[in-house]
Amino acid sequence: MARIGVFVCHCGENIGRTVDCEAVANACGELPGVVHAVDYKYMCSDPGQNLIKEAIAEKNLTGVVVAACSPHMHEKTFRKATEGAGLNPYLCEMTNIREQCSWIHEDRDAATAKAIDLTRFISEKIKRNSPLAPISISLERRALVIGGGISGLQAALDMADGGREVVLVEKQPSIGGHMSRLSETFPTLDCSQCILTPRMVEVHQHPRIKLLTYSEIESVDGYIGNFSVKIRKKARGVDETRCNGCGECQSVCPMKKIPSEFDAGLGNRTAIYVPFPQAVPNIPVIDRENCLRIKGMQKKKAKAACGRCAEACGRDAIDFEQEDTFVTEKVGAIVVATGYQLYSIGKEQTRKGITGYGEYGYGTVPDVIDGMQFERIASASGPSGGEIVRPSDGKVPKRVVFLQCIGSREPSKGIEYCSKLCCMYVAKHTMLYRHKVHDGEAIVFYMDIRAGGKGYDEFVRRAIEEDGAKYIRGRVSSIQREGEKVRLTGFDTLSGEQMEIDADMVVLATAMQAQPGIESLAQKLSVSYDGHGFINEAHPKLRPVDTNTAGVFVAGACQAPRDIPDSVAMASATASKVLGMFSKERLEREPTVAGVDKVTCSGCFHCERACPYGAVERYEVLNRSGEVEKVIAEVNEGVCQGCGSCQVACPSKSIELEGFTDAQIFAAINAL
Amino acid sequence: MRELQELSSKLLSEGDVSVVIGYEEGPRGVRPAFIRTPEETNRLVFDHRAVQNLAVYLSPRRAHLRKRGRPAVVIKGCDARAVAGLLRESQISRDDVVLIGVRCGGVYRDPESNGPLSEENVADRCTGCDLREPGHVDHLVGELPSEPPATDRRKSRIAGIEAMSPEERFDFWSSELERCIRCHACREVCPMCVCERCVCEKTDPSWVESSPHLRGALAWQITHALHLAGRCSDCGECERACPAGIPLSLIKGKVNQVVEDRFDYRAGDDPDVPSPLGDFRLEDDQEFIK
Repeated sequence: MARIGVFVCHCGENIGRTVDCEAVANACGELPGVVHAVDYKYMCSDPGQNLIKEAIAEKNLTGVVVAACSPHMHEKTFRKATEGAGLNPYLCEMTNIREQCSWIHEDRDAATAKAIDLTRFISEKIKRNSPLAPISISLERRALVIGGGISGLQAALDMADGGREVVLVEKQPSIGGHMSRLSETFPTLDCSQCILTPRMVEVHQHPRIKLLTYSEIESVDGYIGNFSVKIRKKARGVDETRCNGCGECQSVCPMKKIPSEFDAGLGNRTAIYVPFPQAVPNIPVIDRENCLRIKGMQKKKAKAACGRCAEACGRDAIDFEQEDTFVTEKVGAIVVATGYQLYSIGKEQTRKGITGYGEYGYGTVPDVIDGMQFERIASASGPSGGEIVRPSDGKVPKRVVFLQCIGSREPSKGIEYCSKLCCMYVAKHTMLYRHKVHDGEAIVFYMDIRAGGKGYDEFVRRAIEEDGAKYIRGRVSSIQREGEKVRLTGFDTLSGEQMEIDADMVVLATAMQAQPGIESLAQKLSVSYDGHGFINEAHPKLRPVDTNTAGVFVAGACQAPRDIPDSVAMASATASKVLGMFSKERLEREPTVAGVDKVTCSGCFHCERACPYGAVERYEVLNRSGEVEKVIAEVNEGVCQGCGSCQVACPSKSIELEGFTDAQIFAAINAL
Repeated sequence: MRELQELSSKLLSEGDVSVVIGYEEGPRGVRPAFIRTPEETNRLVFDHRAVQNLAVYLSPRRAHLRKRGRPAVVIKGCDARAVAGLLRESQISRDDVVLIGVRCGGVYRDPESNGPLSEENVADRCTGCDLREPGHVDHLVGELPSEPPATDRRKSRIAGIEAMSPEERFDFWSSELERCIRCHACREVCPMCVCERCVCEKTDPSWVESSPHLRGALAWQITHALHLAGRCSDCGECERACPAGIPLSLIKGKVNQVVEDRFDYRAGDDPDVPSPLGDFRLEDDQEFIK
């Protein structure tokens, strides 16, 4: 016979205000099978939990129903208490009389009646609950990091230093990401490369980090603890084992006028190139779009064109015939750190629903540049060697206007969010400019200044007060060429004046956006993303680096606009999550998974098609002579997330979800 | 006919198959025949009376037939839809069966009929048939006859039911299903009923009342129709087998129509085209989520 205990929580005033908890407990005490029913102010408190433990011992309960808040909130708490009293935790269930009752109703009598109904519902279900034991699954204690920017590097280093092997995959020929292109960093103005390149080298030389550059994720199979990731190593055209990075090939390449991506189009590179001198690995890559030899091969020209790099190479490392190769890595956890792209100011957009700022003349009016281009101009490793000169004629600009919020916080252009770091980098730009051009004038158009963070507001104040940047609150409506100058027409919203400014150079502080192609990667990983393409975290406050797929974590600007300190903190957080997971030999997981009735399954595999996690496998039933009698479905407990899709899809009701069997649900519904 | 007999004889004598499942003369028109020797193949016939869907004999529920060895089965275009369904749902593997497709110019509603096909005696499903020549078969026999006569009998009956108010419709089906004796002939004859144990006999407590009562009959027929959504091959065998004369193909016809309207899908003869019931596409109609 069932001996159920019902525990009704007041949740302070939250439930008690609308629901008569004492009446609920009294009514539930009369239910068939219920031998104990009490109410208490805070059931989740220590004394509250003790009420449950004591009742289990004294009344020899076979099931515990807690009528309180959402199971999301406290199911774990109460199951733990139940287990502490020696009862199987899956014999404890919650019924939600807060979110689903007291918070949404006003009539006390009706709400009380509903709370009684809800409790009766679960008390009928729990009579059919059976004890469940956690599932133990194997664990591959290696991690994969996708993206070799500062977030990915930090995550990889932390995990490798923690003693685990890490595979780091980077799409570009070199690791370093956007940070390697920055001149100096706020709020300390330390040189970006000076702090980043040692990290890059450390990653490269780390005995437990396997670095795969110029590689992309092809497919992801498996589940937490047991992912199998297929990685495409794109044809570099250079044999990595032979190349010693001498650079001879670059110096002889005749294609010298290709805009350098690293220098944001301000400098040039060759067709075989190392993106920047400190690149890791220091191995060149052949740009297949621009290499004369490869273009000739594609057109099937009889006579091989060019090939000077191959002649110059002393180690015979150039391989024009090289093709993409694939490697498969087995890992137990994945960190996504794919970073961001900058908003494209012109009309061309990579994301749907976003329009550019054609009125700002980016790309048509000379000397209108974006923030990254200014970084390259200001950088000692940039095309001008760190001297602030404007791209059109190489003259030192005496008046530079910076425009904030280009793309950000502009729903009419498609992005309503704040990119968070533009206020800071614009302040930094004005300082860098004023430090190098002492008689120059830095003018900033801003909407608001958002400088929350340690030392951030002080930094902006310093730009204004010590380095004399002029901040104008307002927007610019148009930018036009006026002789050698750039004429801006704008509006100062504080003085209410229309203004016209002739500048030598204009810098547009562009928004951060999700990387193009992130959706396809997210789909491969079964993680969700928002309308802007940023990866969704599992919980915005309590699980900020988890995703909704177990074993996949997220770090840095692929989750939302992030600056360097945030990205590094997130990366270390993912590393600590992964290392925590790897601290055990095997993984334990919830036993609420689907199971197949092997006798009645007819093997139609509707479940296989319905399963979003690929958890349904084929199982051969053999007869006594060892011949295959029939092929039926089997659920991989490691992959199953317990969503119940298969249970619904099964025409012969041969699949049951543990803890949510048809018999349990049927009994619960019948009780209403 | 000669072509079919010769092909069957060859398949049997060469040992390709151990049984040919086709049609032979019976006391009430033609009936299914299980031919095991080349000598018997002269019993095989095929004409407008071949209404039965022989794909039902491929279902794994008929394990006793399976044990007799590899079959060849005579199928019309409409039967090929059922075979495709069985292949799609992993119930048979393609190598385990030889498919003899026959080009078909339509069949009677009733295998006992005779004379030329007419608007009155033609089966409902033959109207506008686009599978007079079944695809994805191993052998194809016969000349392509002319198109069968068209009838809008079923269409107009469905339209008549659609025009009823919900109460009238419920009354109509109540009066029809009241006659149901729950013999489950509709299930036994359905080529797509492949479950080892039917859901209406499996759940505990029972979801579908098993006694011949309207409640149970309604529940069973609704369950059957829903389980066939996107799978039904529209062979009409359920209605033909029903001893109580319940117009079951009206339910199936309506469900098929809904699936076609919603998902632009009709069960075809290609097993590689997924059925909307077991397939998710982003462009699926989602107007029901509001």
